[in-house]
Amino acid sequence: MSSAGPIRFVLRFPSCPSIPSARSATSASLGFVPRLPLSSHNASRKGGTMKQAHTINFGSRKAKAIPYLLLAPGLLFYLVFSLGPSAATAAYSFTDASGLIGSKASWIGLDNYKEFLFMGANVRDNLEITERTLLFCVLVTVIQTSFGLVAALLLDMRMRLSNLFRTVYFLPVILGATVIGLTWTLFLYPLGGPAERLLGLLGLHSEFLGGPPSTVFYWIVWIQIWANMGITMIIFLGGLQTVPAELKEAARIDGASGWKVFRHITFPLITPSLNTNLLLEIIGSLQAWQLFLVIKGPTNGLNVLGIWVYALAFGRQSNNPTQAAMRQGYGAAASMVLFVLVLIIGLAAQRLLARRERRILG
Amino acid sequence: MNKKWAIIAFVALLAAPVMAMAEDVTLELLIHQNQALVDYISAFNQKFEAKYPGIKVNASIVKADELATSTQTRLTANDVDVIDMFGFAQGIQSFMKKADKPNWQSLIEAGLLMDLTGQSFLKNYDTPTIKDAGSFGGKVYEVNTGRYAFTGVFYNKDLFAKYKVKIPTTWKDLVAACDTFKKAGIPAMTCGGKDGWPILVAGYGILLSAYPDQSALVKGLWEGTIKWNDAKSLDMWKKMQVLARDLIEPGASGIGSDGAPGRFASGAVAMYPAGSWDASNIEAANPSFKFGYFPMPGSDNAADNKYIAGKYDVGWVVNAKTDHKDAALKWLAFFSDPVNYQAYVTALGIIPTQPTAKLDTTIGKEMAPYLSSFRLGYELLWVQPKGAGQWAQPNASFFKPYNQFDDAKKLADQAQADLDAGLNAVK
Repeated sequence: MSSAGPIRFVLRFPSCPSIPSARSATSASLGFVPRLPLSSHNASRKGGTMKQAHTINFGSRKAKAIPYLLLAPGLLFYLVFSLGPSAATAAYSFTDASGLIGSKASWIGLDNYKEFLFMGANVRDNLEITERTLLFCVLVTVIQTSFGLVAALLLDMRMRLSNLFRTVYFLPVILGATVIGLTWTLFLYPLGGPAERLLGLLGLHSEFLGGPPSTVFYWIVWIQIWANMGITMIIFLGGLQTVPAELKEAARIDGASGWKVFRHITFPLITPSLNTNLLLEIIGSLQAWQLFLVIKGPTNGLNVLGIWVYALAFGRQSNNPTQAAMRQGYGAAASMVLFVLVLIIGLAAQRLLARRERRILG
Repeated sequence: MNKKWAIIAFVALLAAPVMAMAEDVTLELLIHQNQALVDYISAFNQKFEAKYPGIKVNASIVKADELATSTQTRLTANDVDVIDMFGFAQGIQSFMKKADKPNWQSLIEAGLLMDLTGQSFLKNYDTPTIKDAGSFGGKVYEVNTGRYAFTGVFYNKDLFAKYKVKIPTTWKDLVAACDTFKKAGIPAMTCGGKDGWPILVAGYGILLSAYPDQSALVKGLWEGTIKWNDAKSLDMWKKMQVLARDLIEPGASGIGSDGAPGRFASGAVAMYPAGSWDASNIEAANPSFKFGYFPMPGSDNAADNKYIAGKYDVGWVVNAKTDHKDAALKWLAFFSDPVNYQAYVTALGIIPTQPTAKLDTTIGKEMAPYLSSFRLGYELLWVQPKGAGQWAQPNASFFKPYNQFDDAKKLADQAQADLDAGLNAVK
């Protein structure tokens, strides 16, 4: 490289005259994209001195292809591991595929959808599961956002040990669902676990995670929040650091109380962070299934759509613990219903939040 | 000369990995979590590897209720050779309309299970077992290794003697026995409630007492001659509620199915309703512990309580696409050797399917009076109609404190409504 001399940046557009080639590397800081010489071989042939300017014609076919080439690996990854399986799932949902290699899958049209949405007691059961999924989404989104915001505000005050608390709050995020499930299962062990002993001091008893689904559901809501609040907090902290201190300072000099500073300056200015958090939590909680699987497995009265999809496609049958479902086509139909639900809610939320952001930040 | 040696060294270098590949075969085994089975297979594999030095056996262990799903995924990935499979006896009967096939049938039809017909080791087993629990379409696909009962109750002999409690033969006696222990501050029953299915299994004894002919029950439910909310069934639900709410100790929902045998063997609890597969695990947890096994007396009429029901349990199937067919068949032949098989039966306390083997263990002696009338349980016979609701099964764990129901009548009506929804949908 050193023999090729300094890198030069030249922009040529078909309809524009060429820019003199003597621009220095500082051009990069003015917005030009630095490019390596396309042919260092040619440059080195001139005895280490670059006499001919290396130019990139951004209008040329070759140059136009470069962004696509750079995007290709990511695009390929996305096609193979995301879009491809998603499209396959959509196609599977119209078949009676069992998921077994070697088994025949026949096109059965809308039969899976009819069975999932309209057959027998499925209507009632699936509606109940959908309602529970939505409740889970609302509770997790509202509570996790609130707790994450409060934690971020406290940590932003830069009190003593704030770095330690930041680490402690974030720690559960790096734990896997299995570790989280096991940790809470041990903590809530109903035969002498720590929580049971505390409750025992009051003369009470609870089955905790083994109790009625109505109780277990709220425990899982809490565990989901505990496990993910760290990421919410970090996003808010990032947002809080972008709020200009001068604005708050000026408001305080004008006599604004802490609450008013938060309400009228801080909160509006962290709107992008709030929107990011809300969208992540809405989509994440609608798709939640890992904690349900690890803590209870498919359980009547407790299932949400995420784990229900798993149970219908791969999991054990509820009426017989020794039989697997082996209905991948049917499970795919259920997952398409979940996809549509997430899409509708996600898009509606994004639209509302974007409108709010435009209104506040312009 | 140097050139010649160089060529020999080069050829040897090329041949070495090929020879190593030819000799070292790793047989992948998939089994379910049952400590006695895991321990036996571990020791057996060492014996097998000693006899066949070129074959190594790697056993993967999964929870019992995840075995079917793991079987599906491992066969699809083609990274398993020999699999332990439940439930081969369950099939669709003529009165079951539009029902889904059982797993084993789907696997056979997908060409994933090896045809074992004609293998010499099959001659070691009962012909009816091979036919009922291993054959489909005139071909043999599974070597079933034994049966377990799941409608009985383990009891602590020392506690029964200390409190002068007799083995209960009626429901009334059972409740009275539990009261005696509870008054003495001893939990009456424990169970692996954390996994859900052990409470379902605990209730199977009550179901059997109500419907000793389980095949007739299945047919009656499909044809509408038996209802989950008729008088007899309602009585069954009431007893299941008592079992879940009053007889099983508080906190049992935190005990896993693999922890419950240890809890019972500690001597802290009087009874443990479970399958006979846990006998070996109880013995392993506390070898000096004295226990017995009696049929769950789910009826007030002692004559209805003299049966035990169960299922064909561990059965070996072979991946049809295995690259290690020879090693897999050697493993099955060695397992089926009568001497090894007897050791297996003794270690697991399983009811043998080889006529020459004897179950002389504690559990064998306890079950001996009931073996002549042993019958297949509901779980192996029932196939759920499509469209049936989530509560359409006789499950004691639907009651509080494990689930939401605290009214037996309400659950009975719900179960029947959910079953009707499915039956009407497939008409």
